[in-house]
Amino acid sequence: MASEHARLGWLRNIAVLLVIWEIVGRFHLVASGALPAPSAVLARFWADKSDYLPHVLATLEASFFGFVIGNAIAIAAGIAFVMSPLMLRLFRGVNIALFALPPIAISPVLVLTFSGMAPRVILAALGCYFATMTATVLGLSQADQRSLDVVRAYGGSRFDEMRFVQLRNALPSILGGFRVAAPAAVLGAILAEFGGGGRFGLGTYLLGSLGRADPPRLWGIGLTATLIAGLAYAAFALWGARVTGASRAVTVPTSAPPPAAGPGSQIAVLLLAAAAALLPLLLWWLLLTILQVPEMIAKTPAGIIDYLFIGGGAEQARARLVAALLETLPYTIAGLAAGLVFALALAVLSDLFPAITRSFMPVALVTQTMPLVALTPLLVLLLGRGTALILWVTISVTFFPSFVTIAQGMSMVPRAALDVPRAYGASKRQQLMLITIPASLPYLFAAMRLAAPRALLGVMIAEWLATGTGLGNLLNQSRGYLDYGMIWTVAVVSVLVAVAFYQAVVIIERWTLSRLGMKTTE
Amino acid sequence: MAGDRSIRLREVSKTFRTRGETFTALQSVSLDCEAGSFTALIGPSGCGKSTLLRLALGLDTADTGSAEIGGLAPKAAASTGTTGVAFQDSALLPWRSAEANIALPLDVLGKRREDYAARIKELIGLVGLSGFENALPGELSGGMRQRVSIARALVTSPGVLFLDEPFGALDQILRRQMNIELQRIWSESRATTLLVTHGIDEAVFLADRIVVMKSKPGRIATIIDVPFSRPREKSLFQSPEFHALNDVVARALHGE
Repeated sequence: MASEHARLGWLRNIAVLLVIWEIVGRFHLVASGALPAPSAVLARFWADKSDYLPHVLATLEASFFGFVIGNAIAIAAGIAFVMSPLMLRLFRGVNIALFALPPIAISPVLVLTFSGMAPRVILAALGCYFATMTATVLGLSQADQRSLDVVRAYGGSRFDEMRFVQLRNALPSILGGFRVAAPAAVLGAILAEFGGGGRFGLGTYLLGSLGRADPPRLWGIGLTATLIAGLAYAAFALWGARVTGASRAVTVPTSAPPPAAGPGSQIAVLLLAAAAALLPLLLWWLLLTILQVPEMIAKTPAGIIDYLFIGGGAEQARARLVAALLETLPYTIAGLAAGLVFALALAVLSDLFPAITRSFMPVALVTQTMPLVALTPLLVLLLGRGTALILWVTISVTFFPSFVTIAQGMSMVPRAALDVPRAYGASKRQQLMLITIPASLPYLFAAMRLAAPRALLGVMIAEWLATGTGLGNLLNQSRGYLDYGMIWTVAVVSVLVAVAFYQAVVIIERWTLSRLGMKTTE
Repeated sequence: MAGDRSIRLREVSKTFRTRGETFTALQSVSLDCEAGSFTALIGPSGCGKSTLLRLALGLDTADTGSAEIGGLAPKAAASTGTTGVAFQDSALLPWRSAEANIALPLDVLGKRREDYAARIKELIGLVGLSGFENALPGELSGGMRQRVSIARALVTSPGVLFLDEPFGALDQILRRQMNIELQRIWSESRATTLLVTHGIDEAVFLADRIVVMKSKPGRIATIIDVPFSRPREKSLFQSPEFHALNDVVARALHGE
């Protein structure tokens, strides 16, 4: 009964929302018609239906191949990392770079280096890699130690442990990774389409329609992209639920997995860290050498140093880069801070008034599957091309994931811990300050790690598509001028900035949590 | 099952290093379990009884000293299928049915499941799980899961059986019941058995002899023989001799 009641409530909410939207759209109440009525969007969609097919197919094709390739690499890498902790350490630099890099920044570089669908497939694959890789590592290494003992007790090899216990144990986790990766692949493909190359694709369609002052069409494309990403998510969510439901874990691991082979000497640790930092550069250089891209177009690390510090016009290039960074960084930090503060505030409110969680959480979860940054053109429509847009885009891409992470952390505070202050008559506010907030600190940091690279991506997209300022614009301009040195420089610098943000959060997190005797969360 | 089925530990020592501190889990421990004997290891937490079992099973290696099963190194013995093992946590694979879980050692040893179909059916009957062959562990109760785990330990018809607190996670009532069943099952197979346990009554009821261990460093304090004849019936739990021997073991544990 209760669940049926809730479902009816849901339907009612959606119906009310649609009616309000229709009224608002009909009477041009928002930004003089920038928000069209759903009926108008549908009508436009119907009129455009023959245009959609090639665009949708192109995006689906890139997403699909990116998804398959990205996940295959991610699972193989995950297995390798679990088999060899040395590999995991060696690839730390590569992994962080792949996690933090703003896809839009490397999109032009990919278009220069590869041809045809390849840039899109690569960005879609990059979108999948990190989620599935971490899910694989987590699933494989969380296998029940006792079950592994049983296999070993019958003379089973490391390979047998993988085959009989670890791989199957990791399946639900890997499917969870796929669920996150599926919409990420769609987003990656659309962002690559923003970056140019190719006539078809929802991203291309969206950008092409941006100048036409046709809000219903823009909304139609945005909603179609959202729908595709959402369906991809839902498909894997269903599959995951089936697999997990059938084989619920029954044994609680009694012992933690054995610690990874400890670091040897201080020197070995330093060498390994240096190797991990240099590996991404080596791979970059190696890739260009193998592909034999002309030196004029493809810049190696040495080429970028030459461009920025040695060659003619180096000083000018540096000045333009610094000016762009000074425009981009303040917005990134402000947007990130605002997104996190809003998320924390709403999470605290939800803890005080659970009704907020009940009504808002489903919305926040749905946004997780939305290609939010790809919807920037819609925000341009609503907010214009002013700098306020940068903040709104950045806040919207950082707020939702942060809220979900923090609220989840708060809901996982053990009830028993809250019972003690409650038994002494503590107020709601005291419980929050004494228990809930400190206990969910690890999740706050996890939210920061997640949000920091997204903030940079959000700022760059807004700059590229709308405001004509900062790194995003510098990249877009350099594309127009065929300034290859600058295209590569901006790509590299934005990856470095994103990694620096990420590392800064990790350092603060480790310092704070180790002082409090807490552990980091994944 | 042919040949020697003894377990022989010679002067084994094992230390663990945690945060710069060295912890001596076992110091020069020797133990012989004759073929067909049932030995229980009992002692406080940290006395090295589980470590001793893991060394004998080849899951860990000793710093010094040697472990042999029937004259072979433990790992070599394990890969011939001589040994069987059950742990405290039933350690079943949640995605395999009861039957498939019992067959896991066969898969690891590279044996054909079809050749053992009759054996698996017989074992399921022996542990009282007929009708639950295709149930997943999540659908079974704690006691039933533990029975699956015992059946799994017996599937290769092992000559040597290792039991690491196999009933540690069960409540006292269920535990008694399982002790009685294990006693019956063991009487039929007569495998050389090494049982690690926290329960004095469990050790007295099941074993031929009880090895009492002490911690810091882990070592054998004394060995107590259990004179009760087999098969042992449920009524043994109520007999004065049983209680008297329980007291002897308890006193040995508390260092008198």
